[in-house]
Amino acid sequence: MKFQLKSILLLFIMIYGSSCEKKEDPIIPHEEELITTLKYTLTSADSSVVKEFIFKDVDGDGGDEPVITIDTLDAHIAYTGRITLLNESESPAEDITVEVEEEGAEHQLFFISSGADMEITYLDVDENGNSLGLETLVLTDSISEGTLNIVLRHQPKKPNDGSLSDAGGSTDISVDFDVFIR
Amino acid sequence: MTILLLNLMHLMAEGQVCNLTLSGKVVDARDQSALSYAAVMIAEAEGKSGVADSLGHFRISGICKGKYHIELRYVGYEPASVFVDLNKSKSLTFELIRHQELLNEVAVHGEQEEMSSLVHNVVGKLKINREGNKNLANILESVSGVSVLKTGTGISKPIIQGVYGNRIAIVNNDLIQSAQLWGNDHAPEIDPFVANHISVIKGTAAIEYGTKALGGAVLIDPYIMNNDPHLHGSVNYIFESNGLGSTINAKLEQAANWASWRVTGTLKYIGDRHAPDYFLTNTGQREQNLAMQLEKRIKKKWIIKGYASTFNSNTGILLGGHVQNTTDLEEAIGREIPFNTSDEFSYSIEPPRQEVSHHLLKLETQYLSDANKIFTIRYGGQINNRNEYDIRRNNRSEIPALSLTLVTNSIDVNYHTVTPNNNHFKFGGQWYYSNNTNNPETGVFPLIPDYLSNKLGFFSIWKKEWDNWFVDAGARYDYQSLEVWAITKSFPREIENNLHQFNTFALSGGVGNELNKKLQLDLNLGYAQRAPEINELYSFGLHQGISQIEEGDKNLHPEDAFKAVFHLSWKLSPKLSVENSTYFHNINNYIFLEPQGVRLTIRGAYIVAQYKQTDAQLAGNDLAFEYTPHKSLVFNGVYSLVRGYDRSNDQYLIYMPSDNIQVNSQYNFKPTKAFENSFVKVTARYVFKQTRYNAEQEILEPPSDYFLLGLEAGIDIHRNKGHWVLGLRVENALNQTYRDYLNRMRYFSDEPGININFQLQYSF
Repeated sequence: MKFQLKSILLLFIMIYGSSCEKKEDPIIPHEEELITTLKYTLTSADSSVVKEFIFKDVDGDGGDEPVITIDTLDAHIAYTGRITLLNESESPAEDITVEVEEEGAEHQLFFISSGADMEITYLDVDENGNSLGLETLVLTDSISEGTLNIVLRHQPKKPNDGSLSDAGGSTDISVDFDVFIR
Repeated sequence: MTILLLNLMHLMAEGQVCNLTLSGKVVDARDQSALSYAAVMIAEAEGKSGVADSLGHFRISGICKGKYHIELRYVGYEPASVFVDLNKSKSLTFELIRHQELLNEVAVHGEQEEMSSLVHNVVGKLKINREGNKNLANILESVSGVSVLKTGTGISKPIIQGVYGNRIAIVNNDLIQSAQLWGNDHAPEIDPFVANHISVIKGTAAIEYGTKALGGAVLIDPYIMNNDPHLHGSVNYIFESNGLGSTINAKLEQAANWASWRVTGTLKYIGDRHAPDYFLTNTGQREQNLAMQLEKRIKKKWIIKGYASTFNSNTGILLGGHVQNTTDLEEAIGREIPFNTSDEFSYSIEPPRQEVSHHLLKLETQYLSDANKIFTIRYGGQINNRNEYDIRRNNRSEIPALSLTLVTNSIDVNYHTVTPNNNHFKFGGQWYYSNNTNNPETGVFPLIPDYLSNKLGFFSIWKKEWDNWFVDAGARYDYQSLEVWAITKSFPREIENNLHQFNTFALSGGVGNELNKKLQLDLNLGYAQRAPEINELYSFGLHQGISQIEEGDKNLHPEDAFKAVFHLSWKLSPKLSVENSTYFHNINNYIFLEPQGVRLTIRGAYIVAQYKQTDAQLAGNDLAFEYTPHKSLVFNGVYSLVRGYDRSNDQYLIYMPSDNIQVNSQYNFKPTKAFENSFVKVTARYVFKQTRYNAEQEILEPPSDYFLLGLEAGIDIHRNKGHWVLGLRVENALNQTYRDYLNRMRYFSDEPGININFQLQYSF
């Protein structure tokens, strides 16, 4: 029984020692991959007109509703479109566009328009000569309205036929904007 | 005459005493009933063997003085190898333990008998050796009432009578497995090869293992150390054709002078699995496990036991299942072949994948003040490390998206005694202290927060047998303090410190009656409160796996559950026995993940599910039969069904197993001198389509009925030194294309096709 008592004592010392350490406050992780904001900036040929479509969801997966702002587009105009991706949960905001550009071969943006009378084509390519989509050409035609779905795919099949189902990959961004052409 | 002369000459040549006799009786370990015509063999004495008579008696004479291993075999029982030092003629009683499928059995664990009228099934070591290359839960699937919740081929969790995860206890070598077992895609990190047998407890009174065990418990029971002073060991290799996988397990054991020890190690290397029509790309698995067991008896009254194990796995998750928002999900569901399916086989494991390790240390001393009084103190230390890797941008795929370390220290103290008038008592206390930490290097908001959990529990169990009655009762009280360091969901992110305290208790009682030698009835009743787990309180974020954002609720209350199990065991004739278990499980404040609709995020729309409480009701029936029309031919079968209902919301509970039937027929060949345990077996499994589901909660209709055929064959070959086992096991012999409702990958791909397993084992 003496052996028993000694071992119990030893056990308690070990446990007490390990359990009495105060647990430190956790380090809040720096959320590097969080994209909170997508801006689709359309500039007219003479740079006089700038239209913006913005999708901003600052709390990521949280319950706060995203804020979507749109501009109406003019009919029969050619715009140069530029995509900007930001992490605005940080201050100053982190520019994610650079990362996507550097890993161009592993990304592709898709622009799916339905209803509105406009055509969107790729202007840029990645290091392998395949479309990327950070720079696009938007040609609006007659007065109409519809929706525009912008999707960023990570590791899609490249080259592909320009459709989401052929490209595959994982969806990093998928946002919908109402489009009004006046 | 010639034979006699030869024997005489042999004796004279040997020059030793060779007229000893070994006689005795072979009986069932539990009820001491005779095992008629059991085979008795002396391993080192070629030709010295016997067959017991109808009363279990045997007699082998003309044995030389020496040390031997007596090997006993009887169909339906665990084979035994007992060391005997034959320095004079001896008469001994040998006990064999009945194994498997059909049992309301009291398992014998070393010195002590199990404490209750629990409904109890045992998966024995023969089956573990044959099927050890499977995931732990998959080995248990043949037990009635057990289903498997899968996330693809590499991850399986046991479901016992409709409940799983936080509602069942997994006990690893007497320690409650302390790991992130709340996740539907988190499998228990245990190597089945470390077990002597695995018990599935479905009754109500596993109160010793905490209030979680009201739902059920899986006990991974360690080897019982024997007294054999010789070095014994085995090497077991299993190759599976589907995945071109190799699993190798090696064991060594000896009852040496300084201590009895046993070491077991397992390596697993499996590549992409194959559905009948295509590869399941990125479904490889790796495992490296090692366990060591030590036991030393000091002065007849003390036993010191030590056990240390390490389990390390790397599991690939189907690439085509890595789908995110609801639009992509709908697209993936519609596909013939999953996204990212390769035409070629590969062993490589890429993200998405899970890397988990579990290290365990157990130190125990037992003091036997007499044969009936045992005092046990046990220390347990567990370290669980879980890293989940996702496909990430900017070379971050090698940094886990989820990285958790859970360190647990525990102390168990219990006292087991039997009074002179045969009252069994067991009292005990358990203290479990857990520290959970997230690795901030992930760069991802943690799915569950850092916490410190302090649990203290006390239990007492009483059991009594008299005449043909059996009664037991138990009570348990637990106190838990949970200190959480949550991170706020809104920006700027801050630490929010919360303290929860829970007081829960449980009661159980059972009564059983052996009406006659043929019929036994048991009733178990149990009541238990279950405190909410960390994920139910604090989950936040997208959990790798199905595209769902999960959110906890820190204001949840403990659940209140009542379970009743009525069990009958009936030997209708010498050839036919039936066992049936009917259960009813009512859970108030049942905590579950309720889909709330979709949430719009920058990645698209995601299903959001929140932890809610409701009143739930489960009921089910497990029916098992065994028919032995002829000594060598056995048919057995199981028919399980369970129903789960959410009373408050008037709808079905999600993930309820559908009805299923399994029928096996086995033919055992007569053993010869060199060949033993030869058998051929056909298995048939029919799983019905799950028709009880809520259309709004299911993104895809449950899959249709399916039928699977399996074949098995095996043979034991005895040589002078040791013996070989050759085994063949074919799963899904018809290469059936099917999907299973309980596999979370059913949205994306079919189940694996035909799998041919070859087993080669050498033991000495």
